Amino acid sequence: MNVSTDESAAASFLGRNQFLIYRLFSLSGLVPVGGFLAVHLLTNASILGGAESFQGRVDLIHSLGALLVPVEIALIFLPILFHATVGFMIIAGGLPNVGSYPYAGNIRYTLQRATGMIAFAFIVWHLIHLHWLGAPVRGNALPGFDPHHASSTLAVAMGSMVMNLLYAIGMLSAVYHFANGLWSLGITWGLWTSPAAMRRANWVSVVVGAVLAAAGLGSLIGVRRVDVEAARAMEGRREEMRRMLEGEVPLPSARMMETAVEPRAVESPRTGT
Amino acid sequence: MIAPNHAADSAPAADEGREIRVRILRQDAPGQESYWERHAVPYEPNMNVISVLQRIAAGARSADGRPVAPVTWDCNCLEEVCGSCTMLINGRTRMACSALVDRLLEEQPEEIELRPMSKFPVVRDLVVDRRRLFRGLERVKAWVPVDDSYDHGPGPRISPEEQEDAYPLSTCMSCGCCLEACPQYTKIEPVRREGETGEAFAERRQGAFDRGFVGAHAVSQAMLFNAHPTGKMIADERLEALTSAGGIQMCGNAQNCVAVCPKAIPLTRSIARAGRAATVWAIKRLFDR
Ligand code: HEM
Ligand code: SF4
Ligand code: SF4
Ligand code: FES
Repeated sequence: MNVSTDESAAASFLGRNQFLIYRLFSLSGLVPVGGFLAVHLLTNASILGGAESFQGRVDLIHSLGALLVPVEIALIFLPILFHATVGFMIIAGGLPNVGSYPYAGNIRYTLQRATGMIAFAFIVWHLIHLHWLGAPVRGNALPGFDPHHASSTLAVAMGSMVMNLLYAIGMLSAVYHFANGLWSLGITWGLWTSPAAMRRANWVSVVVGAVLAAAGLGSLIGVRRVDVEAARAMEGRREEMRRMLEGEVPLPSARMMETAVEPRAVESPRTGT
Repeated sequence: MIAPNHAADSAPAADEGREIRVRILRQDAPGQESYWERHAVPYEPNMNVISVLQRIAAGARSADGRPVAPVTWDCNCLEEVCGSCTMLINGRTRMACSALVDRLLEEQPEEIELRPMSKFPVVRDLVVDRRRLFRGLERVKAWVPVDDSYDHGPGPRISPEEQEDAYPLSTCMSCGCCLEACPQYTKIEPVRREGETGEAFAERRQGAFDRGFVGAHAVSQAMLFNAHPTGKMIADERLEALTSAGGIQMCGNAQNCVAVCPKAIPLTRSIARAGRAATVWAIKRLFDR
């Protein structure tokens, strides 16, 4: 944060609560934002197991129904917005100097900031490109994503090589930022204090980063392998099933029952008393 | 570094007439424009940057022979213990007294570049005002709170393990290298306003210092005194300071401080320990209120 010689009321509020705000910022990078990133990338990687397995995961998420939007807002969007706002304030207050001091720790510090900003730009683009939030912005210019036709709409949206490159850069930035952030977070909270413990903790970051990067790149490969026509057919069948189960369309068995069995008596046993 | 080097006493002929070129970023007074000035001094074996500066000041002429005001700098002990001679030498913060010219020329043969520290207001040439550094130590009460002349008897015993842990931290010489290299420690240079009294200015300046990052040196000293059996008595006050504006939370874990500290003080260990102590302290305070 920039320090001016005169204190405004806002600066004074931020100053008094600086420790709390920065610790909440640090925590938010792990839960819920980091947790979400991990779940998101691992879920996406299920597309490597075929369009049907991916559709199953997407359906699981969308089984939250009307709860999904408030959950998304409270546990994903607001925390990211909070983390990013404080993150940009921190970036503005620092003065990177890798040119004069090209040490490993300093390069990581600088990359942490660079990848945070790239991740932010990418997240905004990603929402415009695929999320319902971005639908009014993208209009009909971009194909978008339909959760009931997950693999086929994704395969169409991710059709170009440029798009794949864009996603690879954005995703790898977020993964680096999260993995390196874990290491840094452990120092912030005092989980690892000695240089030896920091070196060991570094391996945790490397492993987490490698797994998530593999999952993210894997999903990009998985999407490219999707056969759009076959996926559409499969999604159509599942869509039909879902609508039947939700009662929008009568079940085939129920239709048979209607013809075979007389409608039940109108009065229930209780109404007689 | 004081021991005579007999091999070098019989100066090799190759050094005869060799010159060391030096480029200095000068500034005549606080708030004035800075400017580069070139100097040249005859090479002597085993020179350090202070001895080069002494020749430059004695000559008081720039490389092109123009008479100039002698260059000013700070130094005292000449053996890397007082911490006063910090400057940017070839772009990197270090102590002028222990920066050996032969090494610097290996690093960059054409010229030695000298600049004042960039995180503190320049007083003149290579002299800077490091008031904020010392204010940082005051903020965290980097002392043992014994303030009378009574005989309190022998102090508590400190185990050899604790001594070993504490000793490196106690070697801090307030040189400010850790602050100069820290990307999170940015310059604060308030300027006295027209009509502002000296007292009002000093107060405003102190307020600005107290909102800025306290710095790795102060975090480490807070940990040193919080580990001391008597110093511990005001451990909470130090943690209060470390969790207020400009406290430990400002550190971004770039770890430059530990890389440049001339005394090789384990600053990042102190920072992480302070982070841990602050975590515990903040939780405790949440429930004790
Ligand atoms: C969206 C834009 C984002 C920006 C601008 C941003 C910015 C930052 C910055 C500047 C830091 C360094 C803080 C410091 O060390 O003092 C940081 C730390 C961190 N970020 Fe982000 N970030 C963003 C998104 C994310 C995302 C998407 C995640 C999770 C995947 C994340 C997780 C973390 C973690 C775990 C830390 C470590 C906190 C600590 O050192 O205590 N950030 N972020
Ligand atoms: S911690 Fe090291 S670099 Fe910082 S002031 Fe002390 S001796 Fe100098
Ligand atoms: S670890 Fe913290 S105090 Fe040390 S240089 Fe980095 S940001 Fe500054
Ligand atoms: S003169 Fe004392 S440290 Fe250099």
